[in-house]
Amino acid sequence: MRSVIAILRRFVASTLLVSIGLLIFNFILLGTLVFKEMNQSQSPEGVLKKVASKLDKTGSGYVLEESGSNLLRENDAWAMLLDGNGDVIWDSGLPGEIPRSYSLTDIAKLSRYYLLDYPVYTWEKDEGLLVMGYPKWSYGKYQFQFLYDWGRSLPLRLTVLLLLNVAVALLISIVIGMRMMRGIRPLVEGVHGLARDEEVKLDTAKGLFGDLAGSINSASSMLQSRTAALKMRDEARSNWIAGISHDIRTPLSMVLGYSSELEENASLPEEQREQAAIIRRQGEKLRSLISDLNLVSMLEYEMQPLHLKPLRLAALSRQAVAELLNNRLAERYQIDLELKEVAVQINGDEKLLSRAIGNLLQNSVRHNPDGCRIAVETFLSEDRSRYAVRIRDNGKGIPEEQLADVTELPYSSKRKKPASNGHGLGLPMVSKIAQVHHGQLLLERSAAEGGLSATLLFPVFDQQSNNKTGSERADRPVF
Amino acid sequence: MKDKKILIVDDEPDIRVMIERFLRKEGFFRIYTAGDCSSALAAIGASKPDIAILDVMLPDGDGFSLLSSIRTMSTLPVLFLSARGEDEDRLLGLGLGADDYIVKPFLPRELLLRLTAILKRVYASPVNNRLTSFRLGDSVIDLDSAVVRWDQAELPLTAKEHAILTKLYENRDRIVTTDALCQAAWGDDSYGYENSLMVHIRRIREKVEQDPSGPIHLLTVRGLGYKLVTKENP
Repeated sequence: MRSVIAILRRFVASTLLVSIGLLIFNFILLGTLVFKEMNQSQSPEGVLKKVASKLDKTGSGYVLEESGSNLLRENDAWAMLLDGNGDVIWDSGLPGEIPRSYSLTDIAKLSRYYLLDYPVYTWEKDEGLLVMGYPKWSYGKYQFQFLYDWGRSLPLRLTVLLLLNVAVALLISIVIGMRMMRGIRPLVEGVHGLARDEEVKLDTAKGLFGDLAGSINSASSMLQSRTAALKMRDEARSNWIAGISHDIRTPLSMVLGYSSELEENASLPEEQREQAAIIRRQGEKLRSLISDLNLVSMLEYEMQPLHLKPLRLAALSRQAVAELLNNRLAERYQIDLELKEVAVQINGDEKLLSRAIGNLLQNSVRHNPDGCRIAVETFLSEDRSRYAVRIRDNGKGIPEEQLADVTELPYSSKRKKPASNGHGLGLPMVSKIAQVHHGQLLLERSAAEGGLSATLLFPVFDQQSNNKTGSERADRPVF
Repeated sequence: MKDKKILIVDDEPDIRVMIERFLRKEGFFRIYTAGDCSSALAAIGASKPDIAILDVMLPDGDGFSLLSSIRTMSTLPVLFLSARGEDEDRLLGLGLGADDYIVKPFLPRELLLRLTAILKRVYASPVNNRLTSFRLGDSVIDLDSAVVRWDQAELPLTAKEHAILTKLYENRDRIVTTDALCQAAWGDDSYGYENSLMVHIRRIREKVEQDPSGPIHLLTVRGLGYKLVTKENP
């Protein structure tokens, strides 16, 4: 809408500029082209004045000097001098049809208009009247007269005229502009709609811009169908993974069930019970893989419902460490806990965050089977806008060049090397969980101890903006 | 306990057979099975089982609607055993009044533990039901009447002490974080009660420990929380 008004304003301004420019241009043209002819040669009055000055009175009459007769010849004109009685007392080149004597009325007429269609000009010479005639149809003579008041108010009237012109130009340009805008506005709105990824349906039937509207419509429908196809494909993929993991669960139940039964069967030899235990443990690995895979795919395609609520990461970290210790963590692992600013809350899904922290802890344990020291820290970032959990170990870590790689899904195009240890879904899952919380996962090789340092950063929950956050994606359908 | 009638509803015959085997091995002998909703309802009508293990995906409907139909005729406890692990399903199942929800794949031991827990809760005689009374060294802590009994004396527990001790007992021999204890005692949004918690823990120790400053049952796990050790001679 704003852009439409801006276009209209610019259009009107440029119309005004064009009309003012045109006016000035016209004045210049008027001066140079039209009135140029008028002063092309000497004006009749000028010629007459010169001729009069060249006419000398001698004893016997009047004699025109050479230059004077030349001037008359050049202009193809004739001249005569009338005395006080209206009689011709001197002439030069006078056509035969011109009378030799004039009454007062004749003089009055010829001084204003024509003498037998010859345009004539008069000049007072001594006691008489010098009359100069040009050839027929060479000059037009018009009377020009006006009231004195009219002449005085002429500048004002001209100004009013100009203003009226400007007003009319403005009005016309606005009307035309509005009409054009009415045509353009739906198009502009349509293009904005395209940018917002909305469905656009413009009227293509009327207006100058019918075909343009058609193009916008087809662009919109193309975009819409692509978005829909993309969404469908994502859904299909996620559903496919959910379906596969569902189908794996039942047979896996049997594997777990019977292997653990064999494992507990006291009548079996020790070796076979140990083998059954291996089957059971591998089955449990498969179970955790399936649940990770499911969660990662839900997160990847944004289908995981989030149950957001303000919670304290420090408490979650404590819980995760307690969980690890409760599950009989071996003595060779040592856990140091350092929680700062424990009161700070972030807005998050408790289950997902617990899973992320637990996963990072499990990583440190799993990848360092010979034991290590694990440091768990929580703290506020320096600008106090983010809260962090850092899980640091002094184990073997991840080589520097693979750090960027390990948060990508295994076998995806972004990941260059396949996962070397474990199924490789853990860190991508943690990274995804951080992402859906508008946070991030930073992996570093800790300089001092050489192990891995994983930091989860989340925006601090702001009490004021509490109301609008809530669970924006919680009501999405789940498949 | 072992004579309770158990109904297993699952569309996979293999799963039915497997669960039945486990249960029989554990001593249960009155076991009924059904492969779909209609035969499950028929079985409930005919043999009046004491507990049902339901699959969520059944050929003629889902387990949730089956549970709703069961509820119209019986209040028997129900345990869902589902291949759908999504939280929504879990909440839906529990919201409908199921007693527990287990996600496949499961370990038989896990199923058995949860099943017996439900059976105990629902069918145990009132006397046995008062198992929330346990020995701690030389003292006996009775959570039902909120007292600690020594040979000579009987020390009452306050409400907060009782809540904290109950939480610790539910997770006995495991670390319970201070956050979880605060929540148990003061409810949600209980941040800031850490110091009060310490005071209450000290008072509990005075009641249950022989030497409150050298505790052997209610241990502090530095930085994390507390742990109630009920086993003798750790």
